[in-house]
Amino acid sequence: MNALWIAQVGAVLRLELKKTFLSRRGWWIYLLALGPVGLTLIHWLFEAGHPGGRHSLGDDVTAFAALFLLYYLRAGIFFGCMGIFSNLFRGEMLERTLHYYFLTPLRREILVVGKYLAGLTVALAVFVTSVVLSFLFIGRHFGAAYSDYIWHGPGLSQLGWYALVAALACVGYGAVFLMCGLLFKNPMIAAAVVWVWEGINPFLPTLLKKISVIFYLKSLCPVQVPVPPPFSIMVIDAEATPAWVAVPGLLAVAAILLIYSAISARQAEINYGE
Amino acid sequence: MAVYKKTYRPYEGGLTAPLTRFLVIPRYAFEELHRSRFLTFFFLATYIYPLICALIIYVQHNASALSLLGVQGANRLISINVVFFMGFLGWQSMLALFLAAFAGPGQISPDLANNALSLYLARPFSRLEYVLGKISVLVILLSLMTWIPGLLLFSLQGYLEGWDWMTANARLASGIFLGAWVWIIVLSLLALALSAWVKWKPAAGALMFGVFFVAAGFGATVNAVQRTKWGHLLNISNLIGSVWVELFQGANKTTSGTVFFRVPEGQELPLWCCCSALAALCAVCLYMLARKIRGAEVVR
Repeated sequence: MNALWIAQVGAVLRLELKKTFLSRRGWWIYLLALGPVGLTLIHWLFEAGHPGGRHSLGDDVTAFAALFLLYYLRAGIFFGCMGIFSNLFRGEMLERTLHYYFLTPLRREILVVGKYLAGLTVALAVFVTSVVLSFLFIGRHFGAAYSDYIWHGPGLSQLGWYALVAALACVGYGAVFLMCGLLFKNPMIAAAVVWVWEGINPFLPTLLKKISVIFYLKSLCPVQVPVPPPFSIMVIDAEATPAWVAVPGLLAVAAILLIYSAISARQAEINYGE
Repeated sequence: MAVYKKTYRPYEGGLTAPLTRFLVIPRYAFEELHRSRFLTFFFLATYIYPLICALIIYVQHNASALSLLGVQGANRLISINVVFFMGFLGWQSMLALFLAAFAGPGQISPDLANNALSLYLARPFSRLEYVLGKISVLVILLSLMTWIPGLLLFSLQGYLEGWDWMTANARLASGIFLGAWVWIIVLSLLALALSAWVKWKPAAGALMFGVFFVAAGFGATVNAVQRTKWGHLLNISNLIGSVWVELFQGANKTTSGTVFFRVPEGQELPLWCCCSALAALCAVCLYMLARKIRGAEVVR
């Protein structure tokens, strides 16, 4: 990659960040990220009024694991990335502004990379920050015990893993939805298929489980959350993928999807009339 | 004729009867929906499950079919009871959500995005008729997927089982009908409200999924973090499940809901809370529609 390409990626990144970061249109994405932060903040303030405590620190750690899996991975980051990334190309098609990019002396691959990096910056800033804040707030009412848990116990390592998993989720889902926004007129249908596929992952045979993003993300979570009954009887157990396979594997899948998106962008033609 | 002589002349043709005027909208809407191959295919695919159910009912009452299949004990394996019909309604209602998410957002947003609402309202056509027309598109489609095949299955079972079964299980029929209508109204109002507020169709569809699944996920986390059960108030499928359990079973509860609409045991909310939450959701949707469906819009 030469200096010109890097400069061009930077230019697209700056332009896109101006358009997407903290835009009014994306209010619901920020709400998705703020929801759990507000909830854990309320939990801190509410439980601070009960000095004896009604539950243990371990309960809060498990509650955060459930929050991370049930909310962040299954809903918040998934839908947030859908909103951010599928809008990068499809939004410009709808506003009839994509041709401005296509008329500039800029390789389409550079445009795809620039847009992806812009979306990724927004997604990482919003969701990783949200995960970190939620983790810090959820047990804050234990005071010094929670600080001790973070600094001298497994807390910091868990926080690091949660932040990494959230970041990888943004990378993986971002690549999927960027491709959907580029290839499909209505990315919703593709997104619904992906959502159903990711949702039924615990019940799929071992081989099919591995063709998903959530399987690798769950493998990396520091605290596992069991599937509640009655669905627990349908769960098919598969050996968790080690981190040294899951992390590069997810990055490789994202890279493949991005390359495919770049190839598709090279052949893209605009017809706003359709 | 000179241009300046072309003055206003009112329409002199025949008018559609006021009571059926709102049906003009679904007539054109169905034509447009029919053009989408995906929607047509999806709609047809929603009849697979009712067909399987009908087959099960038929086989259960046909001794020769059972012996042909070599499964004489199958009639004891699947019982045609409240679980069977609630399961049917649960599956069909989930498919109805998908259909509403695909077809609903395209109802109002194009009219608003292209400033075409005034073209409707300039005619002898009120805001109420406009909303009725738009909602009837979804109501008809969703009815064809839920309570109509449900009642047909009930009739088939009643026909094969006899009049006594029908009278003894009349509550199932009313449960299918009323339960489906509760779901259809919530779904249709939500789809139209989101369609009116979000101009990009895929975004409106995504938001609809978001309202159901993200709110449900958030409700579950509220329960987990706060050690409460009131987070279920954010879970629409849970609220619907509670209403269905009451409609299907009344005081003699034997199940805790059905597939996709299950209420976790021991975490049931009072029925009046569930009904109030659903009513509040519908009221918010109606307010959102009333704010957007206007003949003139002030653009600042």
